[in-house]
Amino acid sequence: MSLTDSLGTNWAWVIPALCASAFFIIFPIRRLVPRIGAAVSILAILLGFALFWFVLVGLLSDGPGAYSINWLTVGDTTLKWGIVVDRLSVTMLGLVTFVALLVQVYSLAYLTHHGERDPGFGRYFAFHSLFAAAMLTLVLADNLLFLYIAWELVGLGSYLLIGFWHERRSAAEAAKKAFVTTRIGDVGLFIGIIMLFKATGTFDISTIIHVASQPDGINQATLNISVFLIFLGAMGKSAQFPFHVWLPDAMEGPTPVSALIHAATMVAAGVYLVARLLPLYELAPTVLLIVASVGLFTFIFAGTLALVMNDIKRVLAYSTISHLGLMMLALGAGGLGAAIFHLVAHGVSKALLFLGAGSVMHSMNDETDMWKMGGLRRRLPITGWTFVIGAASLAGIIPLAGFFSKDEILLHVLDHLNPVFIVLALLGVVLSALYMARIVLVVFFGPPKIENESAHESPLVMTLPLILLAFFAATVGFLAFNYTNDYPGFGGFLEGHGEFKLTIWLTVASLALAVGGVTLGWMTYRGGTISHRRLAERYAWIHKLVINKYYLDDAIQWTIDKLVLTFGRFVGVFDRVVINDTGADGSAYTVWLSAMKVRLVQTGRFYNYGMLMAGGVVGLALVWWIVQT
Amino acid sequence: MMVEPSLVLFYVASAITLGGALGVVMTRNIVYASFALLAAMMGVAGVFLLVFAEFLALVQILIYGGAVVIVLLFALMLTRLEDFQNLTDHRQWPIAAVISIGLFALLVTAIVTTSVRTTEPQSIDFETLGEILFTQWAIPFEVASLVLLVALIGSIVLVRTDGDRD
Amino acid sequence: MIELAHLQILSAGLFAIGTYGVLARRSAVLILMSIELMLNAVNINLIGYAAFVDFDEATRSFGQVLVIFVITIAAAELALAIAIILRLYRNRSTVNVDEIDLMKW
Repeated sequence: MSLTDSLGTNWAWVIPALCASAFFIIFPIRRLVPRIGAAVSILAILLGFALFWFVLVGLLSDGPGAYSINWLTVGDTTLKWGIVVDRLSVTMLGLVTFVALLVQVYSLAYLTHHGERDPGFGRYFAFHSLFAAAMLTLVLADNLLFLYIAWELVGLGSYLLIGFWHERRSAAEAAKKAFVTTRIGDVGLFIGIIMLFKATGTFDISTIIHVASQPDGINQATLNISVFLIFLGAMGKSAQFPFHVWLPDAMEGPTPVSALIHAATMVAAGVYLVARLLPLYELAPTVLLIVASVGLFTFIFAGTLALVMNDIKRVLAYSTISHLGLMMLALGAGGLGAAIFHLVAHGVSKALLFLGAGSVMHSMNDETDMWKMGGLRRRLPITGWTFVIGAASLAGIIPLAGFFSKDEILLHVLDHLNPVFIVLALLGVVLSALYMARIVLVVFFGPPKIENESAHESPLVMTLPLILLAFFAATVGFLAFNYTNDYPGFGGFLEGHGEFKLTIWLTVASLALAVGGVTLGWMTYRGGTISHRRLAERYAWIHKLVINKYYLDDAIQWTIDKLVLTFGRFVGVFDRVVINDTGADGSAYTVWLSAMKVRLVQTGRFYNYGMLMAGGVVGLALVWWIVQT
Repeated sequence: MMVEPSLVLFYVASAITLGGALGVVMTRNIVYASFALLAAMMGVAGVFLLVFAEFLALVQILIYGGAVVIVLLFALMLTRLEDFQNLTDHRQWPIAAVISIGLFALLVTAIVTTSVRTTEPQSIDFETLGEILFTQWAIPFEVASLVLLVALIGSIVLVRTDGDRD
Repeated sequence: MIELAHLQILSAGLFAIGTYGVLARRSAVLILMSIELMLNAVNINLIGYAAFVDFDEATRSFGQVLVIFVITIAAAELALAIAIILRLYRNRSTVNVDEIDLMKW
C-alpha cells in the first residue's frame, strides 16, 4: 500500500520524461552503439508502460489530478507546463505506451535483413523515443499551448520516421507531403487556440471549458470559428477528407512506424483533441454537425478507396482513414466514450494488422503487392491467424473488440443524428467488412503463388507482439459491459456517467451487414461466384476514378504547380527586381551617380573656387536685397 | 556752370586708372599688361594727390611703380612663356565677367544707399602723420617691418634650389 | 567738387575689374597683377574716408596709416607670391593655372 501511496497520478509526467531523456541519450551515440540505443529506448518505454499501471491505480483510488509549474509570465498571462491526469488521458497513456513498446520490440527484428542491421538502427530508436515523448506529452497536456507544442513535435517525429530511409526519393517526398499537409491544419489549430485565448485570457483547457459554459462566456461566433479551426488541425493530423492525402504516401516509412504512428497514436491525436474539447464542441452545434459529416464522408470515401488498392499497406492506410472518420462521426454524435473506445480497439487491431503485414513483407523481401501473395496462412501460421483476428475485429465481427466499439458508435449516431447518418454509416460497415475480407482472403487464403516459395514465419521477436495484440483485440471489447455498479461500461467510464445500453435491432443489423460484407468478399475473392475483374471491366470508368484516388492527388499537384509555384516565381522576381535591383542596388546606384556628378565641382582649379566664392557673395547679397524689399 | 578743375583732373586720373586696369585684365600681351599696371598705379597716385594725400602718393609711386612692377617684370622674365604675346583667357571668363559686374553693382548699391557726413577734402599734416605712426601706431609699424623681414627671408628660402645650401 | 562718392565708385570699379582679372586670367603672374589692382582699390577707398569724412584728426589719420600698412603688406605678399610662382614654374614648367589641378576629383 505504501508503494502505491507515493506513486500515483503525480508521477504521470515521468513517463514522457523517460522517453525524452532516452532520446537525448540515444541520439548522440546512435552511430557508435546502435544496439545500446535500441535497448535504452525499449527500456524507457517499458518503464513508461509499467508506470502507467501505477498511475491507473492512483487514478482509480484517488481520482483525477492536475499538476503544473509556472514557466513564463508575460503581462497578465502566465504560461505553464502542466499535466492533467484523468480517465481520458490515462486511457491514451495506456494505449500509447503499450503499442509503442510492442512496436519497438518488433522493430528489433524488422530492421534486420538477412542478419544485417539497417544502418540507421540507432537513429530509428532515437526518433521512436522522441515521438513517444511527444505523443505522451500531448495526451497529458493541460493547456492548449503545451498541447500545441507537443502536437508539432509529434508531427516532427512522424516526418523523421516516414522519411527514415531518406535516400529514397519517394520516402523523402512522402515525409514532406505529410508534414506540409498537416501543417495546413496546424495553422488552423493555432489560430483557433489564439482565438480562444483572446476570448478567455487563458490557455488552460478546463478553464476555457468552464468559461465557455457560462451563459455569456464566449461569443457564439468566436466559439464557432475557433472550434472549427481547431477541428481543421484535427482533420490534418487524423487524415480526414481532404487532408487524408498524406497518409497513404506515409506508407513509405518502415511498417512498424506505420503501425505505431499511422494506426494507433499520431492519427489518434486529432480524435483525442476533439474529444478533450468536446464540451466546447457541444456548445457549437453547427461545428459538431460539420465534424460528424466530415467523419461520415471520410468513413465511406476511404472505404471505397480501400477496396481497390493493390498494395497491402495502402489498403490498411485507407482503412485507417476510414475508421478515423468513424471516430469523428462518433464524436460528432456526442459519443465521447464510444469514440475513444473505438480508438483503443482500432489502435490495437490496426497495429496488429500493420505488424502482420510487416511480417508478411519481411518474409517476402518487402513485397507489397497483394496479388503476388496467396495462401500464406500455411507458411506463416501465427501471422496469418492473428491477422485474421485483427481484420475480423475491424470488420465488426462478434465477439471481437471492433464489434463492440462499432456498435456503441452506431448507437450514438442513431440517437443523436439525422437518420441519413445511420443509413450511410451502415453502408460504411458493409464496405469495411468487404475490404477486410478481400485482403485476408487474397493474401492468406487461396492458392499459393510462385513467389511465395521462400516465405517463412517471422522470428519470435516479431510474432510475440502479434500474439499479444491479437489477445487484446479479442478481449478489449468486453470492457464495454457494466460489471459493477461503479463501472458503467467503458464508455460510461470515460464520460463519467451513463451506462451500457443495447439496442438489439441495431446490433443485429450491423452484425448482419458485417457478415454480409464478409460473405460478399468470400464470394468474390474465394468462391469465384462474383468476378471482381469482370466488374472492373464493366464499370471501367468508376474503377479508373477510384483507383486514381479520385484524382485528388493530381488536383493538389496541379494547384501547387499552377498557383503556388507561380506565386513563388512572382515573389522571387519581385524580390529580385523591386527590392534588390531597385531598392537596395538602386539607392546605392543613385548615391554613386550623384556623387559622380557632384564631385565635378572639385575641378582643382582655383579660379573655379574663386568664382564660387565671389559668386556666392553676390548671390547672397541679391537674396538679401530681395528679401529686404 | 563752371566745372571744377579738380573734378576734371579727377576724371582724367580715374580714366587713366580704369583704362590701365582694363588693360591688365584684357590684353593679350603680357608685357603690355605689366605696363598697363604701371599706368594704373600712376593714376591712383594722381587720385591721391587730388585729395591732398601727398605722402601717400609718393609712397605709391615709389613702391608700386618702382618696386612692384619691376619685380613683376622679373617674374615674367623668369617664367618664360612661349606665346607671351598671345595670351588667351580660359573658357569660363563670361561667368567671371558676370560675377564682377554683379560685385560692382553690389558695391555701388552699398555706396549709394549709405550716407556719411562729409566735408571738404582735407589733408593731414605730414608731421602729424609721422608722429602718429611712431607713437600710436608704433607697434603695428614694427610688426609691419617684421612682416617685410619674413617675406624677404621666406622668398629667398622658397626660391632656393635644393642643391645650394650655405 | 570731388565727392566721397566719386572716390568710392572709382574704388568699386577698380575692385570689380581686379576681380575679373583674378578669375579670368590664365597666367599666374597676371593674376598677381590683378590682385595688386584690388589692393589699390582698397587704398583709394581708405584715402577717401581719410579725406572726406568728418572725424577728428586722430581718427582721420587712421585712414592714411592703414594705407601705409596695406602697401607694405602688399609688397611683402608680392615677394612671397613671386617666390611661389617661381617654384611652381620650376616644378611644372608652366604658370598656367589651368594646368595646376592636382586637387582635382
